[in-house]
Amino acid sequence: MGHGGTFLSVKGKTVSGKSREGWSPYLAGALTGLVMVFSVWLSGKFFGASTSFVRTAGLLESLVAPERVERLPYFLENPPKLDWQWMFVLGILLGSYAAAKLFGDFRWEAVPPMWQERFGSDQVTRGLTAFAGGAVAIFGARLADG
Amino acid sequence: MKILIYGFATGILFGFLLQRGQVLRYEKQLGALRLLDMTIVKFMLSSILVAMVGIYLLFDLGLVKLSVKPTILGGNILGGLVFGVGWGLFGFCPGTAVGAAGEGRWGVLWGIAGMIVGAAVFAETYPFLKSTVLTWGNLGKLTLPQVLGLNHWIVIPVMIAAILSLFYWFEKSGL
Repeated sequence: MGHGGTFLSVKGKTVSGKSREGWSPYLAGALTGLVMVFSVWLSGKFFGASTSFVRTAGLLESLVAPERVERLPYFLENPPKLDWQWMFVLGILLGSYAAAKLFGDFRWEAVPPMWQERFGSDQVTRGLTAFAGGAVAIFGARLADG
Repeated sequence: MKILIYGFATGILFGFLLQRGQVLRYEKQLGALRLLDMTIVKFMLSSILVAMVGIYLLFDLGLVKLSVKPTILGGNILGGLVFGVGWGLFGFCPGTAVGAAGEGRWGVLWGIAGMIVGAAVFAETYPFLKSTVLTWGNLGKLTLPQVLGLNHWIVIPVMIAAILSLFYWFEKSGL
């Protein structure tokens, strides 16, 4: 029995250790490179995400002021509707969920551990910082056309 | 419709690989910015390495078109600096934020909401930016081989060697 218990606990550690570490970033990155090549080949699409957030903002604004959205020059160039990239971003959500569930990595988390160590576990402090950071980051990303 | 399905399927694969590469963690993102953990740099450069070779091969075979964005120094430099501040505060870029939500890190929803608001502000200020910052130092659509006046198959092996040397150094330094 002792032997069995040890075996199980050792096995449990190995399994959880493995899931914490995931795959080598070199391997996952190289496979991502292959997905990029096939995407460009089969659908002519290069990876990107930030424009979808502007389209989402436009879609939400359309609910309250559709005529205003129609007049904004950015939305004339990039109509606020679902396109390849918008579906790509939605796919990221599902793909990440599937991988996390499959490998036992899924965890509800409000405040990241590294943040907690330095700034504490207050959700509002972290939330407002993340909100401001997100707003600034997307503005910069769109300005740089990244 | 077909193009939307391609987008969704490609996103699922990418999200899966982002999760497996462990790059959807605040700790990994901040780890890179703090020069403590190069996981996301390894992931990004590995994907670029493979995609660079594959896409240029297909390009030479006439099977794909390149999508070169214009180099506008004003937008690229200012936008890059602004993005960096936001990335440091939030700890995620747009794509990884969505991926982190998929892993259950629901705290990122605050940042995603912020990104939608920031995006709306960008759309509002776009006409102003277009006539100012986005006219400063517009060099047009440039590629490295074009600027150097070299064939891309000379530039690509040099890039590969540089990236692999960097990887070797990361592993040697335990980054």
